[in-house]
Amino acid sequence: MEAILQTLMDLGGVTAAMVFDSTGQLLGHRGHSIYDRALCEQVSGALVRAIDAVQLQQEDWETIAAQFQDGKLILRRVGATGGRTQVLAVVADGNLNPSFATVAIRVAAGKLKKLLEGGGVSSPGLAAASSSQLGGGGPASQSQPLSDSRPVLANSGLSWSKTSSVGLSRVQVADPAAGAFLSRCAKALAQAVGPIAKVYVEEAVRRVAPEAPFAMSMAAPLVEDLAGQIEDPVDRKQFKAAVAKS
Amino acid sequence: MTDLAQIAKIPNVASAVLGDLAGGFYDAIRVADGESIAAVTGFISTSLVDAGEQLGLGPLGRVSLAGASRACIIAVVGGSVVTVSVEPPGSLPAVERALDTSSGARG
Repeated sequence: MEAILQTLMDLGGVTAAMVFDSTGQLLGHRGHSIYDRALCEQVSGALVRAIDAVQLQQEDWETIAAQFQDGKLILRRVGATGGRTQVLAVVADGNLNPSFATVAIRVAAGKLKKLLEGGGVSSPGLAAASSSQLGGGGPASQSQPLSDSRPVLANSGLSWSKTSSVGLSRVQVADPAAGAFLSRCAKALAQAVGPIAKVYVEEAVRRVAPEAPFAMSMAAPLVEDLAGQIEDPVDRKQFKAAVAKS
Repeated sequence: MTDLAQIAKIPNVASAVLGDLAGGFYDAIRVADGESIAAVTGFISTSLVDAGEQLGLGPLGRVSLAGASRACIIAVVGGSVVTVSVEPPGSLPAVERALDTSSGARG
């Protein structure tokens, strides 16, 4: 993986290149010294949140190019293995040649897909070993491997699937009843916060059930967690009532 | 850049939604669920703003999403977020250039 990421680093203007999965786990990175592993892991968390939201609007996304005042961030979907989607992220300054970079990123994504599908990076240990930074290796942190599931947009637009193929949702449910309960929570929460409620529910599930599939036994703490995020007391009360009624 | 009527006149622009970074909805053209789109793109924008701050890239200006079936441009102007749906997706670069031209002409 290092060699593939290095080809991107050789492009003019590229300051960092990284691969992460739908749990936010960093699978590999190369970058200038300021873009160390800790920073890349932090950034991958924010990018996974953004991609989760993109999934709600456009499930078949392939590239996301964000133009900032002082540089550019390009995300490219690599593939999906082991129930997780992998994403290549390239950070660049204003010297990047966009046309050339587009081709180079497409080629790199293809190579990474083959590598990942071939089991080239299959465990956190291997992933950590494949990460490095120019001018010194970063410490390999222990990321929590989480199972994930793909959101299936039903009529309501809010449902969870027990299995995953390409989605970036990181919620796994123990049974259909738990999935249905999460959908009800998201719908009730949407009354207060809008469609982004699904993302909030996913984050809350990760807090109350970080290491196991969400089950109905965790329903009460989940509702309390979500209610705690609703500032308006009336909305909070209505949310609890809606979830209890459903 | 936030003049939806002007943006909607650009060839291959299917719809346009005006919202803000908090996910608030203000206006929409040629799309029924503008509120949902504004909420989601507001969240996408704030998440990318966070990533940009962490990476030292400065303020976010524009996001281009491309897929097999459609494409979308999210323009962040101050606190406003304009979401422009582009069809077909191959027209994305042309619409980006048109948006640049229109915002440049406005100063």
